[in-house]
Amino acid sequence: MWVFHLNSGSCNGCDIEVLDALTPYFDVERFGIKLVASPRHADVVLFTGPITRETLPKVVRALRAMPRPRMVLAIGSCAVGGGIWHDSYNVIGGYPALEKILKKEGIVIDKVVFVPGCPARPEAIIYGVLVMLGVVEPKSKREVYKVESK
Amino acid sequence: MVKLKFVKLITVARKAGTVTRRYPFEGPLLTEEFRGEVRLDPEKCIGCGACTIICPPNALTLHDEGEVRVIRYFVGRCIFCGMCAEVCPTQAITITKEFELAAPTTEQLLRDLVHERVKCRICGKPFLPAKLLKAANSDVPGSENYIDICPECRIKIGLKSILEHKLG
Repeated sequence: MWVFHLNSGSCNGCDIEVLDALTPYFDVERFGIKLVASPRHADVVLFTGPITRETLPKVVRALRAMPRPRMVLAIGSCAVGGGIWHDSYNVIGGYPALEKILKKEGIVIDKVVFVPGCPARPEAIIYGVLVMLGVVEPKSKREVYKVESK
Repeated sequence: MVKLKFVKLITVARKAGTVTRRYPFEGPLLTEEFRGEVRLDPEKCIGCGACTIICPPNALTLHDEGEVRVIRYFVGRCIFCGMCAEVCPTQAITITKEFELAAPTTEQLLRDLVHERVKCRICGKPFLPAKLLKAANSDVPGSENYIDICPECRIKIGLKSILEHKLG
């Protein structure tokens, strides 16, 4: 799995954690993951940041340049749901908002895995990669509790 | 000369040893202060919505939908600041060390807490959760008389009684 790191206006917290996951300390090359410098070579995009208006065209271009199957690993609370900038005027609002724009552009993303965390731990990123590869079943499920009023 | 360099490298590497964490096969490095996903206790929660007001990224949101009040926690937007746990009046929110939250859909990152709202005795409109009413009025004497009346109806009753008193 070759990964390309795409920053779309992130605060660099998640980028440092991505870098951390690539160091010998966590060593994602154990799973055959390698960082590449171009989206044309990549299978997976490590996506960070809430997508500012300035970066949106570049993000779309980078994702269009990827060969199929395209996969996206949305890292950090900004990429997953917009984070604290979810209702900001200059921000698209995370990957779910980008997905609609990509559909309009005709770009198909084959698989997405969301990794929450602010910033996401290197271990959480590795766990996200394992979920993407289908090695482990995702732990988190939609939970609905009913409060009993006595 | 080249051979000598290689030997030097071995000695350096031996000194450092293996540093790689075998993460999925061994436990993560978690400190005591680490904050992960917050957990809402459905038994303690009264549905006041203090956490939804303090939450910086609006990960905790409050929805009044018909007969229920939903406190929705979207982990994907949470920044794990722990302010909700600080502000909760009943200590219903606890900070866990859970960080393995990756999921293929955002739907899986939602946690809902559904409170049933009490219906007004007079107009029949649902207004507040029963637990919140009980907690807010627990030390107010005489509150049993108006506890199941919505604020709007209460204003109407108050105005009516004032007018009756003034006009005789």
